[in-house]
Amino acid sequence: MTDTSESRLFSFLREQVAQRTKTSADQIRMDMSLSDLGLQSIDAVLVCGEVEDRFDVEVDPAEIFQYDTLGDFARSIADRMAA
Amino acid sequence: MALFHLGLSTSGHDPALAIVTAGGELVFAEASERFLQDKRAWGIAPDHVPHLASALSQIGFDFGSDTLAVATSWKKAKAELPVELMGDLLPVTDALWLRELQAGINTHAGASLLRLGLAQQMPEVRRYDHHLCHAVTACAFAPVDTASCLVIDGEGEAGAVSMFDLRERVLKRRWRSWGPGSLGTLYAWLTQLCGFDWRLGEEWKVMGLAAYGTVRPEIRDALTSLLEVDRGRLRFVEREALLPLAARIRTFARAAGEPLMSAADLAASGQAAYAILADRILCESADGSDGNLILGGGCALNSSYNGTIAGRMGYDRLFVPPAPADDGNAVGAALLSWMETTKTPCVPVLAATPYLGSVAATAALSRLDALGGIARVSDASAGSEDRVAELLAEGKIVGVMRGRAEFGPRALGNRSILADPRPADMKDRINRLVKGREPYRPFAPVVCEEDVADWFERAQPSPYMSMTLRWREARARQVPAVVHADGTGRLQTVSPDNAPWMHGVVRCFGERTGVPIVLNTSFNIMGKPIVHSPEDALAVFMTSGLSAVVIETTLIEKSAAA
Repeated sequence: MTDTSESRLFSFLREQVAQRTKTSADQIRMDMSLSDLGLQSIDAVLVCGEVEDRFDVEVDPAEIFQYDTLGDFARSIADRMAA
Repeated sequence: MALFHLGLSTSGHDPALAIVTAGGELVFAEASERFLQDKRAWGIAPDHVPHLASALSQIGFDFGSDTLAVATSWKKAKAELPVELMGDLLPVTDALWLRELQAGINTHAGASLLRLGLAQQMPEVRRYDHHLCHAVTACAFAPVDTASCLVIDGEGEAGAVSMFDLRERVLKRRWRSWGPGSLGTLYAWLTQLCGFDWRLGEEWKVMGLAAYGTVRPEIRDALTSLLEVDRGRLRFVEREALLPLAARIRTFARAAGEPLMSAADLAASGQAAYAILADRILCESADGSDGNLILGGGCALNSSYNGTIAGRMGYDRLFVPPAPADDGNAVGAALLSWMETTKTPCVPVLAATPYLGSVAATAALSRLDALGGIARVSDASAGSEDRVAELLAEGKIVGVMRGRAEFGPRALGNRSILADPRPADMKDRINRLVKGREPYRPFAPVVCEEDVADWFERAQPSPYMSMTLRWREARARQVPAVVHADGTGRLQTVSPDNAPWMHGVVRCFGERTGVPIVLNTSFNIMGKPIVHSPEDALAVFMTSGLSAVVIETTLIEKSAAA
């Protein structure tokens, strides 16, 4: 995966989370956990769906809950896209 | 020494098992409810030991040298997903119950191999995506290389709709919906509102009742508004909008004690809402499909809607497998395991037969002669088609248990009750004498494939009774017992290839009466699964108004009916 597509993924995630938590994207940091973000679990699942749709990568519905931070989740997706 | 692939439907409801050989042939498939005679077999392991042992013995499995690869129809336990369950339509306790059952069954799948001496420790289990299992099952029964394959049900791993592309027999998911938003849930709720019980699988009753009602736009539109369809993906509307809509719809519910027909408009409006939403999912999906649509998932049992698809939305042909609901997923799981082992990306095309279940036990058959003291027992090994046709033409109601049991919810001639469709009172007679079900519900016709266009509009093959078509008006008058209130019939088409005995019966009946149509309903009594053993069949025979029963090559007639 190129830096450009990884940054596209990160910024897409920021936008998605911001939209669902009704905050601005620049307040979403990759070192934040789901609870730091105030993201409801159903919204976290829906974010997974948006990522799957946008980046054509298989995402497990429970996957986002397995990571400590949004960044860890994003990197696992980015790794899979690069594979 | 051979490796067999054991597919298990692990939803917690409608368990089933299927067995595929090392060569990719499906040699057995059966729902646990048949073996156990327990409708829907909630919470029962699909590898229930006596059932699995019986299946293995019937396929000639060698316990000394053959091995089993076990595959499940879910990747994960739904309970692992830490989301709050929606309880705004169906009670949240129902959803919790389902999740607990699914978690237990999916986790413990394969444990029966320990009991049967086929494993020394808990076997490694291959776990496959739920909707992928549905899609593989559906595609395996569709003899086309290219198609769109839509799975719609109550719940999948991520959402309740998945769209796949079948290209040169390779299946690839195009998209799936995520989160709450389910036509299966909507229809289950509608079933409750009509005064029935989705947990008993009574969605059929809604579909049947719909024919008596009038679509009321205010109900239809409110139901349709519960769900948004975004590029095919389904989602319930936000809670703030959903709750008042649901409250408004509940005012049309049938209260306990009210007559059935008071729910007919609700049923008709609900069926209309279902059709609108399903159309919205399908309307932009036909690109690259060569006009072929394959449907899977429990919603593919909506035969009324299915009959309207061909000729619309870019689709010319519809294929629905004999078991599109969760029981059928046992086949998908077994085939995926075989594909994984053999590293084939292509979904095989299975033989076009639903007759994949158990045969009657030989020991039980050998005892049928003992009935001679209380019934007339005769050999029907030759010419039974015409003998049965003769009995039907005389107005007799005949049970049939021949060959392998059907896989899926429909009786297709091997575990069926047959009758003459011409007398207007035949429906009431069967209900009064045998089935005991609600008088409004329709019975199905069997028609020879070559005759379909003579009898039905928009003729299409329907070998698994998957669709409802409109009778030609002049023809409908000849067979009132199989014409529903809206002038339709959920037909089974038979050919000398797919159902030779049944084709013969219909032909002989036609020669005797001039009407080549036979009434076919499942061999059971209301609330019980279709009969499994000769003893089950004889119990229905002896305690009901059945005039005769054919069990393999033996015809048994009640003395009083002789």
